[in-house]
Amino acid sequence: MPQCPMHRSISSFILKDCIMAKIGVFICHCGENIGAKVDCTKLAATMGEHPGVAIAVDYKYFCSDPGQESVKRAIRENNLTGVVVAACSPRMHEATFRKACAEAGLNPYMCEIANIREQCSWVHNDPVMATEKAADITRSMVEKVKRNNNLQPIEVPVTRRALVIGGGIAGIQAALDIANAGQEVVLVEREPTLGGHMAQLSETFPTLDCSQCIMTPRMVEAAQHPKIRLLTYAEVVGVDGYIGNFHVKVKMKARYVDTESCTGCGDCITKCPNKKISSEFDCGLGKRPAIYTPFAQSVPNKPIIDKANCTYFKNGKCKVCVKVCQLNSINFEMQDEFIDLEIGAIVVATGFQVQDNSVYGEYGYGKYKDIINGLQFERLASASGPTSGKILRPSDGKEPETIVFIQCAGSRDPSKGVRYCSKICCMYTAKHAMLYAHKVHGGKSNIFYMDIRAAGKGYDEFTRRAIEDDEASYLRGRVSKVWEENGKLMVRGVDTLLGKPVVIAADMVVLATAMVSQPDAKDFAKTIGIGYDEYGFFNEAHLKLRPVESSTAGIFLAGACQSPKDIPDSVAQASASASKILALFSKEKLEREPVVATNNEATCAGCWGCVLACPYNAIDKKDILDRSGKVIKRVASVNPGLCQGCGTCVSFCRSNSLDLAGFTEKQIFAEVMGL
Amino acid sequence: MSIQEQYKKRVREILSSGAVKMVIGYQAGTTADRRRPLFIRTPEEAEKLVLDSACIANLSGYLVTEGLLSDEKSVGIFLRPDGIRSINILAAEAQLNPEQVVILGFDGNEKEVTALQGEKAKDFTAIIASIKEHAPSAPRNPQLEQIEKMSPKERFEFWQAEFSRCIKCYACRQACPMCYCRRCIVDSNQPQWVNTSSHTLGNLEWNVVRAFHLSGRCVGCGNCDRACPVNIPLRLINAKMAGEVLGAFDHFAGMSETQEPVLASFKKDDSETFIL
Amino acid sequence: MSEPFEPKIVAFVCTYCTYAGADLAGTSRLKYAPNVRIVRLPCTGRISPMFILKALQKGADGVLVSGCHPGDCHFTHGNYHARRRWTVFRALLEFTGIPLERVKFSWISAAEGGKFADFMNSVTEDIRKLGPFDQYQRLINETEAPATL
Repeated sequence: MPQCPMHRSISSFILKDCIMAKIGVFICHCGENIGAKVDCTKLAATMGEHPGVAIAVDYKYFCSDPGQESVKRAIRENNLTGVVVAACSPRMHEATFRKACAEAGLNPYMCEIANIREQCSWVHNDPVMATEKAADITRSMVEKVKRNNNLQPIEVPVTRRALVIGGGIAGIQAALDIANAGQEVVLVEREPTLGGHMAQLSETFPTLDCSQCIMTPRMVEAAQHPKIRLLTYAEVVGVDGYIGNFHVKVKMKARYVDTESCTGCGDCITKCPNKKISSEFDCGLGKRPAIYTPFAQSVPNKPIIDKANCTYFKNGKCKVCVKVCQLNSINFEMQDEFIDLEIGAIVVATGFQVQDNSVYGEYGYGKYKDIINGLQFERLASASGPTSGKILRPSDGKEPETIVFIQCAGSRDPSKGVRYCSKICCMYTAKHAMLYAHKVHGGKSNIFYMDIRAAGKGYDEFTRRAIEDDEASYLRGRVSKVWEENGKLMVRGVDTLLGKPVVIAADMVVLATAMVSQPDAKDFAKTIGIGYDEYGFFNEAHLKLRPVESSTAGIFLAGACQSPKDIPDSVAQASASASKILALFSKEKLEREPVVATNNEATCAGCWGCVLACPYNAIDKKDILDRSGKVIKRVASVNPGLCQGCGTCVSFCRSNSLDLAGFTEKQIFAEVMGL
Repeated sequence: MSIQEQYKKRVREILSSGAVKMVIGYQAGTTADRRRPLFIRTPEEAEKLVLDSACIANLSGYLVTEGLLSDEKSVGIFLRPDGIRSINILAAEAQLNPEQVVILGFDGNEKEVTALQGEKAKDFTAIIASIKEHAPSAPRNPQLEQIEKMSPKERFEFWQAEFSRCIKCYACRQACPMCYCRRCIVDSNQPQWVNTSSHTLGNLEWNVVRAFHLSGRCVGCGNCDRACPVNIPLRLINAKMAGEVLGAFDHFAGMSETQEPVLASFKKDDSETFIL
Repeated sequence: MSEPFEPKIVAFVCTYCTYAGADLAGTSRLKYAPNVRIVRLPCTGRISPMFILKALQKGADGVLVSGCHPGDCHFTHGNYHARRRWTVFRALLEFTGIPLERVKFSWISAAEGGKFADFMNSVTEDIRKLGPFDQYQRLINETEAPATL
């Protein structure tokens, strides 16, 4: 009997691995591709003599139908326990041959590919050396496959209900796409109404159509959709579980208004005596009462009571709203409630915030009333805004004759903490200049910019229109200081194209503020278990190839919570997330490659370094209890639903307790020793 | 009152008040300059305690004895700063709860010992931080520098000569507070990663694996070195690796109870000078 | 004249970047030295330093380890973890006298077929110049029973 090169003594393991193994080796000529350099017949003869190999044959094209049939026949006739196909890269035909093996009754994971084309015949000139190398590669895979185990695809049941977090345009789009395909959606929004930032905008670039005109119908559609359960003024406070099986806790914040009985007549809002509260929706440029809806088209159009500013909550007296409400919908005793949801997949669409421009002390934001940010300008220009769409100075309500726009007020400025480009500011500043030109005839806009970044369909044409048709004056340079002098805002900057300092006397200054992540984005990412970057934007699984997945399986990203985005990009990403989820929901059970880590709890020392090292939070800390419930031992436990099979934990594990199915220590060891 | 007497008094106090169920310390050994571990549960036994400059063993490894701390009662233990760092590592690696460890801290040189103020591992943070600060400028072992100056071939020969004496008794493993695994990798035979026979290849593999597993975790207490019956200078390898992780990742083992293990964490801008 | 020394080199690579880069070298029909044998792993994070010791035990004259560039890991962080392990393990090998010319690390992406081929050639040449790893071979020869599974 030929002796196994790896063993000189006999043990039961050797018996199983080497003597009982019946491996079939199938050597493909790939026409001339392999055959011209590798002597396949000689290779078959060599492999035929290798211990544990029951049959070794060569053939012109094993990937062809007759080729695959011959593999299947050989499996059945020889009762093969494993198959090695020496052919092209496993990236080409591993799936093909594994399927063929499965059809012949062999577990597909008992099939391995020896890559003797891309990594041998195609790259070497010398036929002797190439044949020798091909033998090494094939033998190594034979030794590996002897130690392969039958693996079963991991089946994970899927709860076909999606959770969409955030009710801006991205969240609404994702929710509608999923719901329109017939799947259930829970849409959670933490503000009292759907709409997000898009509802605050006046017109949208590059078409100048009214934002609310395109936004509000979508909000209504989402609210009325039979497959969408809408939870506004609600926050996701906990996410457990894994893909297909998330357990989500949602806090329903007390509105103090019963939305079931309330008809949204608005009597309480009209009668509320405390009307001097700065409106969040109008970015502080307008006022609202203590019981309010953020804006006229709010969805749901039911008011909430602002507890911090309500006279009754402050003084225990008032209750005007209770008196005027004919449906007894006001309830001051209301408490926060928690609801638990079973969810299969999650879209995170939590959006962004505008940077606090007070970091620019030199620009005087917050000091001078007529210096506003881009979002405030949107409210001024909006027909539903505090000035009914008239561009008026916040200080004295006069029409400004000259406006200075300062681009990159925050973006691309490491000294203010934002290194990145906010992507939309070039476009919205051009839009602001156009809106201003259309609304105030003779109004003069001056725009300080660093570069004009107008990449996008119709975008460059749009900025050209601002310059050519609407006579916006673009000055390439930064502004160093803004101060007030004789009722004017003096803006000192530099025009780098002329190489001269300039001072412009303006009536209003608009800062093109950076888009930043939500202030609580990092905490929220930890709550739901996804990654984030240094700025608090959520991390995609792969910047290029998996831009809508988070690194946690089953959690997807949409919109500006991932990075600054405009509306078309947010909508596109939302639809992409929805389609990923619909693919996930297309089956009752989710099948996953069984290449996952496993832990031997008997030997695990519970140091939990793997828990920290795992890029997917797929390893949990687990207590092993005795009958009385006392902790006997603490170990790591791999969640196969979350594990992606990278094996980082395995290499960390000092006691060798963790292993990776399909690439076990034993298999790799054999592979090396077989070379 | 000598420091030994001070500590005897304190041991009596904490044992009689029930603050700790046991104290792990030192007692006289077989020769005048050797000390052996002492485990006492009653105040009377405190009389046996010895504390002097010959008390050099890092006793922290005894704390992870199976079941010792599972009743959630506290244990008192005599530790030098390196031993306190071991407590931090064991806590960071979830092997013990540092709240259960009452530290009787001391430090000193070949001649005398001094008391360290503090009771729980976190009370010694400042002391450890100052050791870290001085680590890069601390005098280096001359033998270490000598080995570094050798050619690779000479180094290989040097270590072969050292390792050839290894009898695979694993005393280094038993003595090390960090070797708490339930099953050591050398005892895993499916597959057999490390050759168990004490031939030179197996000896090299064992010592390399041991040093790798201690990289970023060794506090340089020297327990392994002293335990080795054939006097392999294990301390040199450990010191070399401690210097490497400090230089490459600014990682000084045992800084705090929550320090992330150096090989289970990373920074995106970790230096890489050798990757082509 | 005696035959030139043909070193045996074992490479541990991740499947997403370097293995794909090696495939690209193949599809581009780049020619390189036939001395390297590749072991494919899912990620550099899976490449345990033990593998390097095993390759040496098998009699390799050189070992290569390669994966995705930082930031490109399919598993997001595997290569960052790997980089730390390599840094530590490489220092350890150096200190125990294993010449660093025999253990090389690289980042080779799926698009870098050319880099892969060049790397194989340069490493093979370097190790050919060094000659066989006799010192290690002596240890292997002294071993009565080779490692068993």
